Amino acid sequence: MQFSNHDAILADWEKLILSTEFTLGSYVENFEKQFAEFIGCKHVIGTNTGTDALILALKAIGVGPGDEVISVPITFYATIGAIITVGATPVFVDIDDRYQMDVELIQGAITPKAKAILPVHWGGASPNMQAIMKVANNYGLKVVEDACMAPGGSIDKQHSGTFGHVNAWSMHPLKPLNVMGDGGMVSTDDDDLAEWMRIYRNHGMVDRDHNSIWGVNMRLQPLQAIVASHILKTVNETVKARNKNAEILDEGLKALAPYVKLPPRPIGYRETYSLYMAKFNKRDELIKYLNEREIEAKIHYPVPLHLQEAARDLGYKEGDFLNSETYCKEIMTLPAHQYISRDQLEYMISSIENFYSNF
Amino acid sequence: MRVPYTAFKIKNAPIRKKLIQAFEQVIDSGHYIQGPQCTSFEQEFALFCGTPFASGTSNGTDSLHLILRAMGIGPGDEVITAPNSFIASASTIALVGAKPVFVDVTEDLNIDPNKIEQAITPRTKAIIPVHLAGRPAKMVEINKIAIKHGLFVLEDAAQSIGAKLQGKRVGNWGDAASFSLHPLKNLHAFGDAGIITTKDVKLIERFNISKNHGLRNRDQCDFWSFNCRLDELHAALLRVQLPELERWTEERRELAFRFNRLLKPFVRVPEEAPGEYHVYQTYVIQADHRDELQKYLRDNGVEALVHYPTPIHMQPAATGLNHLPEDFPVTLQLSKRIMSLPLYPGLTHEQQDLVTELISTFYQNKNK
Repeated sequence: MQFSNHDAILADWEKLILSTEFTLGSYVENFEKQFAEFIGCKHVIGTNTGTDALILALKAIGVGPGDEVISVPITFYATIGAIITVGATPVFVDIDDRYQMDVELIQGAITPKAKAILPVHWGGASPNMQAIMKVANNYGLKVVEDACMAPGGSIDKQHSGTFGHVNAWSMHPLKPLNVMGDGGMVSTDDDDLAEWMRIYRNHGMVDRDHNSIWGVNMRLQPLQAIVASHILKTVNETVKARNKNAEILDEGLKALAPYVKLPPRPIGYRETYSLYMAKFNKRDELIKYLNEREIEAKIHYPVPLHLQEAARDLGYKEGDFLNSETYCKEIMTLPAHQYISRDQLEYMISSIENFYSNF
Repeated sequence: MRVPYTAFKIKNAPIRKKLIQAFEQVIDSGHYIQGPQCTSFEQEFALFCGTPFASGTSNGTDSLHLILRAMGIGPGDEVITAPNSFIASASTIALVGAKPVFVDVTEDLNIDPNKIEQAITPRTKAIIPVHLAGRPAKMVEINKIAIKHGLFVLEDAAQSIGAKLQGKRVGNWGDAASFSLHPLKNLHAFGDAGIITTKDVKLIERFNISKNHGLRNRDQCDFWSFNCRLDELHAALLRVQLPELERWTEERRELAFRFNRLLKPFVRVPEEAPGEYHVYQTYVIQADHRDELQKYLRDNGVEALVHYPTPIHMQPAATGLNHLPEDFPVTLQLSKRIMSLPLYPGLTHEQQDLVTELISTFYQNKNK
């Protein structure tokens, strides 16, 4: 990863360390406003991490012990970790051929205990949010979008992460909007929820001397808010570059069917390509072959969450979510970020061609 | 002349170049999460405290929360702590589902060991003594009680980095200790950060996994958890400051001793007891007519604060615990008398003399 605007960031950092704005303050507030404008929503509240953002969002809509939250087994651990942290039970539904929550399966997973749906914009592609909102509204459920990989993405021109009631974002270094460390935010149009989240994020303090609820410290770091403000200016360019790289990879890999299966790319979805993923035959051999050729291909992730050690108490078993399990055996991520050159893309494609030409 | 409560600029200007270099080093390294700066800072901090292990976190609150979890404390359990601390000392107990049980403090602002045993029930799992304001709690007595009843001791050392008791630093007395590196602390991040220490190898192993999503490695999640990591950037800036800490602390102590001499005729001053090494993170006096005095000082340019005017058991958040204000009489009494005066490296004798003169004048006028 690279940062192209070092000097501007350094200059702001120097100002910060000689100031006193180390907890919340103007740098954080400015970034919150900028991001709200960027995605087109009313309130943005900076948090210390994307995981904190998920926890804060779930707490804000009142999810707690005894409640169920519907999510997917193909996501980062934090999605499920957040549900458990607030005391609720995750209920998984399988993914579709775009590796997103299969909207057809949601209805069947709703029990009287269901409180919320937590769809993930996995890899920076988006699930069918309009359909998810429809189901949620029909059943009176709240929706928290895990939009951690989605800054710069949209569905029918509406920014990803603006469909649900409260939505969570991450600025981990591997995201399109990144900081140099951990950072995140929640977004919402609801004034009351926003107010509650601002208080809970800062120890439940209404002012320095009074706290109205037991809260925690989930504050976005001003050091990182500075980085975020600078990087935000480049997000649209970054996503554009990644889309271009993805197009080139798609074009090259399409010819390798049936060894390579690309996910469908429906019209109206602007992906961020946080992760450029496809399914590959003989994936484990291929990844070894590519890694030997200094192509940093990765697997996100080899084990679905319902089969993780941490999930043993949830009572799931192998075979429960077949698409997710197949995904884990065949999926591979190729580097498609904005600093990858055309030559590097072609080198990746030809290496994969070479690998399959031996069959 | 003004006497502000903090003076970050005075303290940080001399190390500005080193701080900027640290920034550049991190930017260029490409390591932004749990990289070499974090590892080195953890080792250096452990060495400083004299403990085998240290682990960086996102803030002091997360540190307490995660240690309680790592100790296996949860619903149905009780944890004993002091009611005159920052709310995080109690809120983290409530957050893991346990019940905070308060024990009153003594005039030194720290938990009263003589009152701990009567608060112990079969549900009690741990004691969290707070080393408030920079002064070590009475750890010898507390540890004795803990051993007798089989309780964990978790030192809340958020305000006492470097403090010592009988020559041994805090963070080295209990089963584990939590430190905050918030900007108002003697050693601070330029934002939120924390660190824990322990000699328990099992606890540190569980803690390190739990602060990173429950991940044993990139692909194996042992238990559901969340993200409470120390930022690499913060670690780099903390490493620049750690070598300065002893010098800064000595300066604080000299200024505190000078204040003690000057102010003793008018107010109760925070003197050390034998065997204590107080780091004076907060210089807390006990004064008659506190609110009037605070206003008088503020009107004359001296930024005096109160840590904290509302004890935790009287906060709206504690309503469910059903306490009356007078349940903890010493805490209640202290909350009306305590006041924190500005004290930090770079505070001048002239500023101290001004504060003294104002306090002296205030009481002369009162006694007329």
